[in-house]
Amino acid sequence: MPFNFRKRKIEEPEIPTASMADIAFLLIIFFMLTTIFSRAKGLKMVLPEKSTEIVKIKSENMMRISINPEGKIFIDDAIIETPIYEIKNIVRERIKENPKLIVLIKTNISAPYNRMIEVYDEVLQGGADKVALQSIKGE
Amino acid sequence: MKIKRIGKPKVIIPTASMADIAFLLIIFFMLTTVFRKERGQKIILPSAKSTERILKRKHLSYIWLTKDGKIFVMDQRVSQKRISYDFRLRVLEDPNLIVMLMFDKNVKYLYVDSILEALREARALRVTFSTEFKGGG
Repeated sequence: MPFNFRKRKIEEPEIPTASMADIAFLLIIFFMLTTIFSRAKGLKMVLPEKSTEIVKIKSENMMRISINPEGKIFIDDAIIETPIYEIKNIVRERIKENPKLIVLIKTNISAPYNRMIEVYDEVLQGGADKVALQSIKGE
Repeated sequence: MKIKRIGKPKVIIPTASMADIAFLLIIFFMLTTVFRKERGQKIILPSAKSTERILKRKHLSYIWLTKDGKIFVMDQRVSQKRISYDFRLRVLEDPNLIVMLMFDKNVKYLYVDSILEALREARALRVTFSTEFKGGG
């Protein structure tokens, strides 16, 4: 009886990687569709704590910017309106004169929120780091 | 003369590294993904030149205020009193909480003031007025 001594071919073990890319791309599509890129941005502020103590600030260290119901801006006790684009320069100069300066933004409750943000933006651009907010009730 | 025939070279696009590239992209998306927690409201944000990016996204909590003065937290309409109570608990949970104020630019300052007062009562003192970047000089 003849024996078959032919050597059997050993199959090489293989991991199929052809579909790996497809799986990975599917996962990418999932993450791309669920991702929202962070849109957290804005103007930072730390609010003062509520306390019964009244902190007195010397009037020379304080700059008051008032916004009336129509959105007009008045600095300190001025009767004439100040254009918004001038605030930045005024704040910068006042800080140069007095580094302890605190800027108080007084907004009338009927004024639009946008106006207050515009003023706050200008004050920040002027380099002020101590800013306080206050509301004016009534006309 | 015998002319040796030159065999046509096979055109192959190497695909072995395709998976690596794809996985790298996945890692990028996995790290940048923040799953949506709330749907938000339709508002128009004000724009400001000093707008800064907030990097500590983990500590963010949102308050939405629409043009007509309606307040929303986590997609639910809430009252001003509720904000005080709600945010007091949140501050206890996370003392580094930053409140993102998503306020419509046309809202009256009255509503803004009342929310700020409520937050002060809740001792949630770190806030950010959400704004868009404003271009130009």
